[in-house]
Amino acid sequence: MKVYLRLFGTYRKYLPTSAQGSTCNLEVPVGTRIEGLKAQIPIPSDENLVILINGRSPKAGQVLEEGDTIAIFPAMAGGWTFLRD
Amino acid sequence: MYGWNGKLLRVDLTGRTISVEDIDPRVAKDFIGGRGLAIKYLYQEMDPRADPLSPENRMIFATGPLTATPVPTGNRYMVVTKSPLTGALTCSNSGGMFPTEMKRTGFDLFIFEGKAKQPVYLWINNDQVEIRSASHIWGKNTHVTEDIIVAETDPKAKVACIGVAGERLALIATIMNDKHRAAARSGVGAVMGSKNLKAVAVRGTQQVALAEPKKTRGLCRKVHTEVNRDVKKGSTLREYGTAYVPVVTNEIGILPTRNFQTGVFDKVEGITGHVLTERYLIRAKPCFGCPIACGRMTRVEDPVYGGEGEGPEYETIAALGSACGVGNLAAITKANYLCNELGLDTISMGATISCAMELYEKGYLPEEDIGMRLHFGDADAMIEMVKLAGEREGFGDLLAEGSYRLAARYSHPEYSITAKKLEFPGYDPRGSKGMGLLYATSNIGASHMAGDLAYMEVFGVPKKLDPLVIEKKAWYIKHFEDIFAIIDATGLCVFLSIRYLFDPTFEVMPTRLKELINYVTGAGYTMDGLLEAGDRIYNLERMFLVRAGFSRVDDTLPPRMLEEPMPEGPASGHVVELEEMLDEFYSLRGWDENGVPTQEKLDSLGLDW
Repeated sequence: MKVYLRLFGTYRKYLPTSAQGSTCNLEVPVGTRIEGLKAQIPIPSDENLVILINGRSPKAGQVLEEGDTIAIFPAMAGGWTFLRD
Repeated sequence: MYGWNGKLLRVDLTGRTISVEDIDPRVAKDFIGGRGLAIKYLYQEMDPRADPLSPENRMIFATGPLTATPVPTGNRYMVVTKSPLTGALTCSNSGGMFPTEMKRTGFDLFIFEGKAKQPVYLWINNDQVEIRSASHIWGKNTHVTEDIIVAETDPKAKVACIGVAGERLALIATIMNDKHRAAARSGVGAVMGSKNLKAVAVRGTQQVALAEPKKTRGLCRKVHTEVNRDVKKGSTLREYGTAYVPVVTNEIGILPTRNFQTGVFDKVEGITGHVLTERYLIRAKPCFGCPIACGRMTRVEDPVYGGEGEGPEYETIAALGSACGVGNLAAITKANYLCNELGLDTISMGATISCAMELYEKGYLPEEDIGMRLHFGDADAMIEMVKLAGEREGFGDLLAEGSYRLAARYSHPEYSITAKKLEFPGYDPRGSKGMGLLYATSNIGASHMAGDLAYMEVFGVPKKLDPLVIEKKAWYIKHFEDIFAIIDATGLCVFLSIRYLFDPTFEVMPTRLKELINYVTGAGYTMDGLLEAGDRIYNLERMFLVRAGFSRVDDTLPPRMLEEPMPEGPASGHVVELEEMLDEFYSLRGWDENGVPTQEKLDSLGLDW
């Protein structure tokens, strides 16, 4: 099924060249969860990021539906990760 | 004293007298500095009911104990005065290089009172202070003014000044420093203009004494290392500035669009940070001591919109762009340059133009009054309105008074999207409920800088909150108002503080900030003591408002936010449930049902009417 992926801020670099603005189309298997989609994007695993589905905060394990828009951006205008001691 | 200089400079413009006063160390500790110390002096020295454009009003420039220290982003100063736009007090905050230079003159505060007979500027070279004629600069824009004053004083002088808008008492006029940085909100430029004070130039060479220099430098190094490591991995603020935000706020459906008629804008991709970086960015520009560098030096090469300067920031893009239906980034940038040169607040200017556009499209504002058509999306008309407002020419005379007075003049104040007559910043609170409570209750009106919960509701810092729920938002807004009072009072920038000096937990406690303040000042704040100081500042500001005649009826939002559901997007169907949050907020604050601090609350903070 088709979903739309939007990457903002420094994550724009992970967009394919076919992207329109900040958005690209993705084919994902039916039943894909938000965590599964995130794993397909080469964002470092320790990044503090924000994920939205259709503009709203998703629930853990939320299953994607046909036509969903998933937006991912680094937490905060700073785009920094808080490095713990 | 350490951190604090322990001295203030008082300038009576009426009597042309200058004096130096000591600052009581106990008062400094109780109110931290900056915004806090300034409200302490404002409250004790002026009648809150005074006309803000009269000589009775005080205008205070204030630095904090961390300004001009090795602490990263210790580069802020605040202008604290009674606002002619809102009638409340205001605290308008700016960075750049001027604040550091100001602190290094050896004073923490400059207090201006009275009114000069003729236009003057002040030249403060360490402890040498001169009041000089500004007759030859009156009428000049901010860039020319700064160049002339630097040439007349010292090549290393830093200048804060007003443009034509401030001279002509535009109620949305700024005080610009370092040409492009603005103490922007609430019309502080008009207060300066009302005093016939064109500019303040400073040159300071005194280092701020540190109580524990080794510990200060050690912790600062650690923070710098963290920031630099993160910047290397990729910093959105460094690469795109705050201009990256429109796509984010649009995504959650709160990007002000066509005077807040909706929260999604179909041309958002064209007005966002990557376009700015790809087309117009010359370089990222930091304020003093800042490892982030969110400032944008830009150049637009275009026959109509060409120019060079700094900006635009997110707030400017939202106000002069989407709020006006304008999707042309070159035009927005041009309008930003004009605002900086004329000395106008880009937020209030854009919001006032967008209000005029709605009044015009709804048929309440006749074309003959404006002198032209004024449809949403008309970039050239938007730019023309900025020019007219800055000069107060024609219809611009009314635009210069802000959106509330404009909409009221045409008998439809409900189209002014303001709280306490201050225009909203770039987050529609119907989709960011905490921000709704903030705009309504903020002591200075609708300002994100009074306690920006968008950090949590939008950006996930330090943790992500659901922006559409109201549960616990009263607690968060009270807490954010207090911690923003602390950050302002120290003289740091919020961008670094929230990210690196607060705990990354839902409690958002200023653990590292407390350590830094103690290392710099030696004042020995406990966590409770520091939070109490934030609460004390906030309550004293509120006391000023109460004595100026404000109460619960003023802690409100325009009908659009309370009664008109968001028509589309992720926040579709939502309004701000303000009343449900307000009682809880007052109770948490220790205020009565009218929003007045109880005697018990004031006693606990050592305050008295």
